[in-house]
Amino acid sequence: MGLACAVSAQAEETIRIGIPVGLSGANSVVAPSVVQASELAVDQINAKGGVLGRRLELVIADDGSGAQGAQRAYDSLVFQQKVDAIVAMETSAARNAGLPIVNRGKVPLIYTSFYEGRSCSPWMHINAWVPEQQVAPIVDQFMDEMGAKKFFLIGSDYAFGRGMLEFTREYVESKGGTVVGEEYLPMDGSDWTAIISQMRSASPDALITSTAGGAPNVTLTKQLRATGVDIPYGNYAIDEGTAATMGTDAEGIYIAASYITGIDSAANKAFLEALNAKFGAKAETPSELSVPQYEGILAYAAAVEKAGSTDAEKVVEALGEVTVDGPRGSITMNKQRHSPLTMYLGRVAADGSVEVIKSFPDVDPGEQCPQLAG
Amino acid sequence: MAILVLDILTTAAILFAVSAGLLIILGVMKLINFAHGAFLTVGGYMAYLNGAAGLSPWLSIPLAAGVGFLGGLVIERVIVRPLYDRPLDAILATWGLGIVIGQLITLGFGRGVQFAPNPISGTTELFGVDYSAYRLAVAVIAVLLVVALSALLKLTRFGLNARAVIMNERLARGLGIDSTRVRALTFGLGAALACAAGALITPLISVDPNMGLPWLVNSFMLVMVAGVSFPSLLVASLILGGAQVVVSTYANPILGGMTIVVAAALVLRISPKGFSRA
Repeated sequence: MGLACAVSAQAEETIRIGIPVGLSGANSVVAPSVVQASELAVDQINAKGGVLGRRLELVIADDGSGAQGAQRAYDSLVFQQKVDAIVAMETSAARNAGLPIVNRGKVPLIYTSFYEGRSCSPWMHINAWVPEQQVAPIVDQFMDEMGAKKFFLIGSDYAFGRGMLEFTREYVESKGGTVVGEEYLPMDGSDWTAIISQMRSASPDALITSTAGGAPNVTLTKQLRATGVDIPYGNYAIDEGTAATMGTDAEGIYIAASYITGIDSAANKAFLEALNAKFGAKAETPSELSVPQYEGILAYAAAVEKAGSTDAEKVVEALGEVTVDGPRGSITMNKQRHSPLTMYLGRVAADGSVEVIKSFPDVDPGEQCPQLAG
Repeated sequence: MAILVLDILTTAAILFAVSAGLLIILGVMKLINFAHGAFLTVGGYMAYLNGAAGLSPWLSIPLAAGVGFLGGLVIERVIVRPLYDRPLDAILATWGLGIVIGQLITLGFGRGVQFAPNPISGTTELFGVDYSAYRLAVAVIAVLLVVALSALLKLTRFGLNARAVIMNERLARGLGIDSTRVRALTFGLGAALACAAGALITPLISVDPNMGLPWLVNSFMLVMVAGVSFPSLLVASLILGGAQVVVSTYANPILGGMTIVVAAALVLRISPKGFSRA
């Protein structure tokens, strides 16, 4: 009996953060880097004495990268584990399945994956990019610097792929350009022959693709290169790791990102060193998905500090006010629950590394959740 | 127009190369090899290993064929042969085998995407258009494959025995043909063809644990339509692959992805023997 009391007293002292993440399924390739980023953030905070004198503790749950798994993961985190907050890098399908549970359980949620935009909940903040922030750097580069007028868009047939390209089409047209073709292939499709031939006969000045990450992106890029396509090529789905292994096929691809490992700042250097010190040879390359996760946990810790408690409503209010100085720069989630971000336009070099061509400081996320102003 | 014709020809060539291994196993053994997709994947990983070892990318195809042949012989002896009298169980066993191979690959190489170097990159000019040099090379290889496989069936002792087993296995056995050996060699040959095809298509797709899966359904439909003959598999690949390219080009690539399955079902509805007697 005495032992049980001691255990529960100690359990109350730690602040528990739920991490639903796709350990299996489509996200399983990036999940290890997300878990490492979370562990690093918690270690660093605990090394400084925790928050309000309490230690942070992670509760990791597999969401299976999809809706069904996310329901189980959120149910378990919110109602069984009774976590104090959730910091989630996951697919849009998983987020949409988890949100009603978060709303019912009234738990602060920080969503740390880029997504198609306009997902709103009184309990959710988002510190990653939405189309408004991602599309402009690439399209502006192609139209203003390289004189492109006619665009061809290719994507995978799912919410994110279509959402990104629809936004791109509107943006290109609003700048006086034209979209001469917009084609999609199912997510498991691997034969892009007909689409590539259509694109070549439409003879566009520039190409922008928004496929699912991994295999579809690689098959499309390889088949494009095999047919000798060498117009300006912007890719929304490629990450640095894939670019590095793809070799010469990736050369010349333009990407826009809020995080590139080559960001030249003291905070980024310190982050990379800490990651390597903690995980050594097992350290995963940090990316646009794992770094916001790291910063999301720092943001939660700062918000608890500011609110003076883990009370959900007070923390949610504080989350929109605190600023995190992380690897991506100073970030505050103060624009209708979204964050103005510094976006980097990069180009893949011959050796697979990403050179930063330009940076666009504090790009505004636009109107995302007008009902949740502030 | 030239591009459309080349798209159709090269798509048909790829489909033929990918389906040939499935066809020969079905023809001789009356066995639908659901591990075919996994064999393709193994071929892709052989190309990756070949590239990682720094060998010429062209070597990946014979290397994959060799590994596939030996692996096929072992699998036939250990898994397929004990189930000859239970054809449905044998099909289920190949399905399970496909899952096991996929998981072993995931354990060994992870879920991520791997890369193999391309034997040829860039384009060549043909009929006044620049076209992918590698796709044209695949078309040439597919034609050579049709000739070689037809010659194997028509001109060699193994082919004669195999055709005898295809027509009437009991009678063939009665005539002193060692049908067990024919079956073993056939499974090895089918696995070799599948692995070689996996290595062959690697420059056009990504190498990952699921790379063979999308090809399994299409090859299955093509083989159903083609019956047991390599020339009619070529015809089926041209017609159904051509339909896929035309639908993708003029209607919608998402519909294009379903064209082969739907067209094959229609062909079988109208003519249950498919193209084999047409």
